[in-house]
Amino acid sequence: MRRPWVIAFVAVTTVAIALVPVFGSAVLIQYGINALIFATLAQSWNIIGGYTGYASFGNSVFFGLGAYGTAIAMTQFGLPFWAGLPLGALLGVLCALLLGLPVLRLRGHYFAIATLGLSLAVAAILSNLEIAGANIGLILPLTRADGMFFELALALLVACVLCVWWISRSRFGMGLIAIREDEDAAAAMGINTTLYKTAALMLAALFTSIAGGIYAYWITFIDPASAFDPTLNVRMVIMAMFGGPGTVLGPVAGALVLSAVYEVLANWISTAAALLFGLVIVLSVIFMPRGLFALIGGIRRHGPGYLLQNVRQHRL
Amino acid sequence: MLLAQIIVNGLLLGGLYGLMALGMALVWGVLNIVNLAHGAFIMLGGYAVYFLFSELGIDPFLALPLAMAAMFVFGYLLQLLVLNQIVRSAMLNTLLITFGLDVVLTYLAQLLFTADFRTIAPSYAGANFTFLGVTVPGIRLAAFAVAWLLAGIMWLVLSRLPLGRAIRATAQNLTAARLYGVNPRQLYAVTFGIGAALAGASGGLYGMIGHLSPYIGVPLTAQSFVIAVIGGLDNPFSVILAGLVIGMAESLAALYLGPTYANVISFGLLVVILVLRPARALRSA
Repeated sequence: MRRPWVIAFVAVTTVAIALVPVFGSAVLIQYGINALIFATLAQSWNIIGGYTGYASFGNSVFFGLGAYGTAIAMTQFGLPFWAGLPLGALLGVLCALLLGLPVLRLRGHYFAIATLGLSLAVAAILSNLEIAGANIGLILPLTRADGMFFELALALLVACVLCVWWISRSRFGMGLIAIREDEDAAAAMGINTTLYKTAALMLAALFTSIAGGIYAYWITFIDPASAFDPTLNVRMVIMAMFGGPGTVLGPVAGALVLSAVYEVLANWISTAAALLFGLVIVLSVIFMPRGLFALIGGIRRHGPGYLLQNVRQHRL
Repeated sequence: MLLAQIIVNGLLLGGLYGLMALGMALVWGVLNIVNLAHGAFIMLGGYAVYFLFSELGIDPFLALPLAMAAMFVFGYLLQLLVLNQIVRSAMLNTLLITFGLDVVLTYLAQLLFTADFRTIAPSYAGANFTFLGVTVPGIRLAAFAVAWLLAGIMWLVLSRLPLGRAIRATAQNLTAARLYGVNPRQLYAVTFGIGAALAGASGGLYGMIGHLSPYIGVPLTAQSFVIAVIGGLDNPFSVILAGLVIGMAESLAALYLGPTYANVISFGLLVVILVLRPARALRSA
């Protein structure tokens, strides 16, 4: 019975956000594009990290490949943005297929670090390629259409949320959750775990690389350091974890809340913003190890004591 | 001769790499925490030695034990007051909280020490000698020796002292260790403190060989992780040996492929090893 309310709330919020470019200031639109792109990144990470339970630190590779695919198509081959974007997405998805097959055999910490290593390696290889502008980077054609980028980013986020919503209620999604809970048991139940895991990684790569393409054209300049920034990946993980991994709306809420917190901190005390951001992460892991959504649900059910109950459950 | 020189450089650098990874391997093996703030600990140790040397005029090699003691207290309190609270939650949470700590320490260092590059340069910093046509820098050789010395001390502690027995027992089975009278909260804090002290020592040596800045942490964390995986978590000497392998591989890659490929080599090596031997039981101390 709560469900219609949630759907109505999400629909109204989406329409309200879509109207921001019409009424909002230029600063708000800029901030919004950034926040929406991050929400998409957190939500795509949620597919592989939240539902499948594979803590990927290589999603920034897909972001970088999407950005580079789009940029190379536009600057080196003179293709329009609408042709470059699918090419970037194709590059990201192919990379997910090729890397996923060997790397998804690893579990736990090993998967996390192997993907981190791959992202550093891909960045180093690209910074030696002439066609990708080597270390200097690529400059894309300049466009002044922040409203268009805003709606594009919003549309991508909506598509990504709908995809995760479908996952959360489909047989495919049940398979992913089974893999997260106990991979050997899932395999024993007849789930083709390799197929499921690779498909999940490819789906995550699809949305992440499209977001990368949009970002590249919006910023109009990319180089290996900014496109393959490993902290970008950590930020998507934090946003997804903050909101609640393995939920449909959690990562989006986490991304929007944390983007706003960071923006406010940066305006308030610019020198210590990153430091306080780190403190927010530490405290949120201690007091809400299962995310914002679980915390709200828990407090509604058990009262404010749920905060301490969380700590008591996870301490040594 | 160039090849011999490159190999010697790689070996000497590799000893320091091994020492960096030693603390991470210990904490990972016993507490099952992959400490993403490990590189930040190395950075803090480097600054501790730097200030002991530049402000108080203490010789950097004498300042090393002092910096280690300070880092031990820091690590001990951090584990006791903060990390013990979340040790039993999901693996990703320990990764996240240590990442948060890394951010806090990095930017705290930037506020307190500014972003300037600093080098610990005692009067004998440039001393070297030539052996069979190969130039051996004195400080790097000393750092190499300190790495082996600390690995030896750790091996003695782990295999001979009651504390080491308790640490190894806890790594094997926490519940059983508890039944035999180990206080896990204290033991986790002490182990984490030892890890931080080792990181501090490697940071001091790093500051004598390279440059210190608040941002050196993340790549050093990644490197320590690679070495800890290759070396395994149970034997301090094999961690140092893995450091030598990585140091050599990086030096040779920089010579034959160009310096930008150094990272590709070490991480490529890691991925190949992980994929070929994924089932290797790392957690056995």
